[in-house]
Amino acid sequence: MGAGDLEDVLRQLAPQVLGALVRRYGHFDTAEDAVQEALLAAARQWPDEGWPDNPRGWLITVASRRLTDLLRGEQARQRREDQVAGWRTVPPEPVTDSDDTLILLFLCCHPSLSPASQIALTLRAVGGLSTLEIARAFLVPEATMTRRITRAKQSVRDSGARFSLPPDHADRLDAVLKVVYLIFTEGYTSTAGPRLHRVELSAEAIRLARMIRTLLPDDPEVAGLLALMLLTDARRPARAGPGGELVPMDEQDRSRWIRPLIDEGIALITETLPRGPVGPYQLQAAIAAVHDEAASAGETDWPQIVALYGVLLQFSDNPMVELNHAVAVAMARGPAAGLELVGRLEAGGRLADDHRLYAVRAHLLERSGDHAGARTAYERAATLTTSLPQQRYLNTKAAAMG
Amino acid sequence: MKYMILTYASQQDYDGMAGKETGKPAWTGEDFAAMGAFMEKFNADLAESGELVETRALAAPVLTRRLGSKDGASVVTDGPYAETQEVLAGYWIVECDSFDRATELAARLADTPAPEFVRATAYADVRPIVEGSGDLLD
Repeated sequence: MGAGDLEDVLRQLAPQVLGALVRRYGHFDTAEDAVQEALLAAARQWPDEGWPDNPRGWLITVASRRLTDLLRGEQARQRREDQVAGWRTVPPEPVTDSDDTLILLFLCCHPSLSPASQIALTLRAVGGLSTLEIARAFLVPEATMTRRITRAKQSVRDSGARFSLPPDHADRLDAVLKVVYLIFTEGYTSTAGPRLHRVELSAEAIRLARMIRTLLPDDPEVAGLLALMLLTDARRPARAGPGGELVPMDEQDRSRWIRPLIDEGIALITETLPRGPVGPYQLQAAIAAVHDEAASAGETDWPQIVALYGVLLQFSDNPMVELNHAVAVAMARGPAAGLELVGRLEAGGRLADDHRLYAVRAHLLERSGDHAGARTAYERAATLTTSLPQQRYLNTKAAAMG
Repeated sequence: MKYMILTYASQQDYDGMAGKETGKPAWTGEDFAAMGAFMEKFNADLAESGELVETRALAAPVLTRRLGSKDGASVVTDGPYAETQEVLAGYWIVECDSFDRATELAARLADTPAPEFVRATAYADVRPIVEGSGDLLD
């Protein structure tokens, strides 16, 4: 086995080992240190001395031993013999086959944590990314991220969360999926920072979703989220021009889309949708699938997309969904119908300062032949966005309106 | 020791980068892409050498809000800067061995690809960072 294999296997096993330890002993933060040391020991010993028959069992045993040492040291310092007695009574239970990763995920997405902390803790404990890697991906100093993660662990501990599937686990699953999707979009929007790290975040989100799906193979929204991310990620190579500017979907070179991801995503959502109950991730995946299936922008099945947005709107009160719905309506029934919806959305005020609303209006005015109106809207959109590549795109469009 | 490297630009500079004619020629797509690639490499090198603490770019001056007070009431003003007034455009915080090393890092910014008229007047400042009140009192 090569070094790459070893790294993959350790990364795969790390959350399972951490989960097993926390389930048995609690002590989230100390357990994490113990797991890190066990992983290091494995990385040193396995290549020389050969791989153990049961790598997961080996890691759990070594990490447990290390955790016991760490706790003993800690608690001797604190002179809390009564607690020492407490943990000593935990029987050296044999390593079972149960995978505790899911419970670990639920713990990281604890409702008492802010979304930022949930993301950081999930990437650290389940994704196995180092604090430095997470800090770089979010462009904050390492010390800041260390503090954020430490505080998060403390909140989990103080909340007295028990390490078992929480009774509200249906609600928690929502939080877990949201965190995974946030990690994905953080990588996908790639608005700042070294591009490489951001791409890795998207890959990590997809890996986490695959992991969750192995644990909950029958959950339609888990499958929906995975399909959505695969179908979105498939367009990555065509999304940006040479200057880093965003290329709108109808102008993307579809031959650059990643075919295997599209095939996998479509197969997944096609198999999932009829099983129900249907939810927002499945609907968004279905919309992405309709886009990805079209050989050209002109061949997109817009009436189907309008119908899917119609159902999606019943699930959420999200103005961005309404804006996308307006675009789909314009494509299916003409720009006037779309502009009417955009007008209503603007009157509602929730996107009144958002460049995307004016960019959509500009496109629709351009298509309906109102070039003067389109120019004004493009200019308005350009002044509202903080992204220079987007400003360049919008200013170019404004100038082209004459 | 930590140092801050500061760069400056006017609203006119931002408009030029965003592809607008401003009395001076707009940046072309190639100009803009070359600058982006340079910055990406510059940041990656700093991260690689372990000297990068943090870096941020600031949005265009026109998006600024200034808070002040008038007759005892607080007042918020939109975009108070003149078109040609140069204001902070972005910064890096680096942690390195000496002021000279920080200066050396900042000097690399002189190679940033940009239209000639921009390069002719571009500059950066390097300033030591005060870590705590103790630094000021010593």
